[in-house]
Amino acid sequence: MQNKNWLLKRISEGILLLWIISLVSFAIVQVAPGDAALSLLRVDTVAVTTEQVEALRQEMGMNDPVYQKYFRYMGNLLKLDLGESVMTGRPVAAELSHAFPATFLLAGTSLLLTIVLVGIFGSLSSRFAGGWIDKFSTGFCLMGASIPTFWLGLLLIDLFSVRLHLLPAVGMANGGLILPSLSLAIAIAPPFIKIFRNSLIDCARQDFIRAARSRGISEKVIFMRHVLKGSLIPVVTILGVSFGSLLGGSVVVEVIFGLPGVGKLAIEAVTRRDYAIVQGFVLSIGILIFLINLAVDLSYRYLNPAISLKEAERQ
Amino acid sequence: MIQKTSWGVGLTAIFMLIILFGPWIAPMDPNVVDLSKRLQLPSAEHWLGTDQLGRDQLSRILTGGQMTVGISLMALGLSIMVGVPIGLFAGYLGGRVDWALMRLVDAFMAFPEYIVAIVISGLLGAGFFNLMFAILIVKWVGYARLVRSVVLQEKSKDYLLVAKISGAGSYTTLRRHLIPHVIGPVLALATLDIGKVILLVASLSYIGLGVQPPHPEWGSMLNEGRAYFTQASYLMIVPGMAIFLVVFVMNLLGNRLVEKFGSDRQEEGRDGITECS
Amino acid sequence: MELLNVRDLKIFCPDNRPLVHGIDFSIRAGEWFALIGESGSGKSISAFSLAGLLPNGLRREAKEIQMLGQDLASISEGKLRDLRGTDIAYVFQDYQSAFTPYFTLGKQMDEVMQAHRHWTREERQKKSWDALNEVGLEGAEAYGRYPFQLSGGQLQRAALALAMMMEPKLLIADEPTTALDAMSAAKVLDLMARLKNEKGCAVLFITHDLRCVRRYADRIAIMQNGSIIESGEKRKIFENPQEIYTRNLLASVPPLHNVPRRLPIVGEDFLEGGALCAATRNA
Repeated sequence: MQNKNWLLKRISEGILLLWIISLVSFAIVQVAPGDAALSLLRVDTVAVTTEQVEALRQEMGMNDPVYQKYFRYMGNLLKLDLGESVMTGRPVAAELSHAFPATFLLAGTSLLLTIVLVGIFGSLSSRFAGGWIDKFSTGFCLMGASIPTFWLGLLLIDLFSVRLHLLPAVGMANGGLILPSLSLAIAIAPPFIKIFRNSLIDCARQDFIRAARSRGISEKVIFMRHVLKGSLIPVVTILGVSFGSLLGGSVVVEVIFGLPGVGKLAIEAVTRRDYAIVQGFVLSIGILIFLINLAVDLSYRYLNPAISLKEAERQ
Repeated sequence: MIQKTSWGVGLTAIFMLIILFGPWIAPMDPNVVDLSKRLQLPSAEHWLGTDQLGRDQLSRILTGGQMTVGISLMALGLSIMVGVPIGLFAGYLGGRVDWALMRLVDAFMAFPEYIVAIVISGLLGAGFFNLMFAILIVKWVGYARLVRSVVLQEKSKDYLLVAKISGAGSYTTLRRHLIPHVIGPVLALATLDIGKVILLVASLSYIGLGVQPPHPEWGSMLNEGRAYFTQASYLMIVPGMAIFLVVFVMNLLGNRLVEKFGSDRQEEGRDGITECS
Repeated sequence: MELLNVRDLKIFCPDNRPLVHGIDFSIRAGEWFALIGESGSGKSISAFSLAGLLPNGLRREAKEIQMLGQDLASISEGKLRDLRGTDIAYVFQDYQSAFTPYFTLGKQMDEVMQAHRHWTREERQKKSWDALNEVGLEGAEAYGRYPFQLSGGQLQRAALALAMMMEPKLLIADEPTTALDAMSAAKVLDLMARLKNEKGCAVLFITHDLRCVRRYADRIAIMQNGSIIESGEKRKIFENPQEIYTRNLLASVPPLHNVPRRLPIVGEDFLEGGALCAATRNA
């Protein structure tokens, strides 16, 4: 029940944050140079006259004073109407919801792969600290953090698609998610591996582990139950931050591998000045990040029950 | 063995020299187009082959380095010049100024770096200055937070009180006492960051949002080579390799610096063996 | 009847510097054996080494460690693990680290029972509650608590309950009361003595505080710089200490009457014992 109060507080904070984000995304578009009306008309590479541009601008309400535009914007938002895409003419909300599944799939598989990498390398490195696998792991982390993700993607395509014909270069079908997830996983795993390894070593050194050992608990149970739970908190801490780089990295990966996700959509929108989509994109990313941080905080409370109990005692 | 600081510093120095003097070391003009010689494999005349317009790859790589790394260094320098003073003020003055500045930092940190950079440089348009601006927006927060936390840590120590009693004014205190403590961690963060900024610049250029052709820049070279991927994959391997090597060396150096100055000082004893004194 | 017989126990640092130089001692069934020495004398690591609890890097060698027909120096790790928690139980100096902070006491007590016996859940819960009640804690309540919710004295008593719950033949207590206030310390010691008598287990009591020794111990051994310099019946040693070190040690406990103006300094060479492994600095 303590958690309920805390949850409510967080959600109200979130609503405030969302409002600020909506303000920011509105502001960006107003300030940005370039003319959406012009872009829209130019799509057909037919010569346009200034009168036609002006007429479209009037129609799109681009000449209205700022506050009017803002109210219209907020009004639409509350109706969950994010406007229409300049590129395709379809509603932004529809375009985004169409594109998100692909991104989630990519993020999901990348995260899974990352967990596998971190789990294996982290535990082996801490168990045989100082040994060859530890050194190999450190080298791998250094390389993973230094390699440009898009280049890695291209290399993988070159090797597995062009030369070996094992995996598709584009799209999600036929195992098309494997290469992009691998690229992303290699990019984001390194800091996790290092922190997990150090966290495991620190936790295993604690005196209460020795106490558990003195009671005859098997090493396996000690590791899986006692050491692991205590080591996860630092890992979870950077999980929230790394999600940001996951999203960022997936943008380029989607473009390279031709995955129909939100990142690819956003890049097209940005280069073609489709502000409606850019706005919707910024808003949805903001919401996503907030939800992720919420989930991270919730898992903290599970991993360390002291937090919620101490809160209760304070009241 | 490869983790020694001397390796890091040495390699960095070598790379920096090559990059700095690149255009002058280059055997040919990187912009000369010769369509009769397009897409040639590496040979005695063209050590790294030619690209789709017949330009010498090696020269382009050597010239491009200046662009890629130069832009990154400048962008990072700007970020430090903005972030460090803000952090100093926030930490030193405290109170409401601190609170307001930290809320600002939080707002900036709410979004993934990469996405902010894409949106900003995309909206502003391609080009040199827009690119630097986008990176500045994204990177200054890290330094502000770092400097602020260092200042807060030092504020609690007595020597500042002594300085105050002896009549030192704010400016002197900042300059003489606080800034020396700030330099180390900022340097450590910067060396780690430079790799990330180089990757950022290259990625943005790859998408077409940064440096535009025909200027040689490693990221945009990869972009140009995209269409010829299947025919001439070395066009893609070489610039990418250059980026990778430079970032690798910077990270190597950065890791060591972080161990010396950074916040994770608990590096000792992590080999699982108890030390005997 | 002899319960534990240790011969020529040596402990080495990773760089082969010896910390414990071949000590011998034996403990009889049901007796209270006190191992006395200053910080760094090697008393704690000697006790840890008996059941193989040395920290990473420290190495143990012994001619034999005979207990109940088994040589602890040469049996497999699996058999050693069977003994830990059942026949040999530990209580440590730092009560905070007796339990894993993010699991409840009950869960950890349960875990020990599950590791060694095949009792049903009801049986396990009953045993836990009984054990906790026996040490003066509210069994049902303490069972569901987290370690940080108990005071130091309560935690140490809970640790004792857990240790005694499996009816060990030997309880190894490493300075269990050093970190406690005088009242809690007295309670814990009384409890230990009572449980010892009731269950008939032997106690290997490690301490630098002679006051506990005087009251509870049957036999004692004095360690200095990794060697046992004197051992025997408590009364004999207190009345007629042979070594200078022992004499100074005994003399440095301030008596209630005739308090001297100055206490003697115990041996010039106690400062030499300073070069030790990091692991034993907190012993």
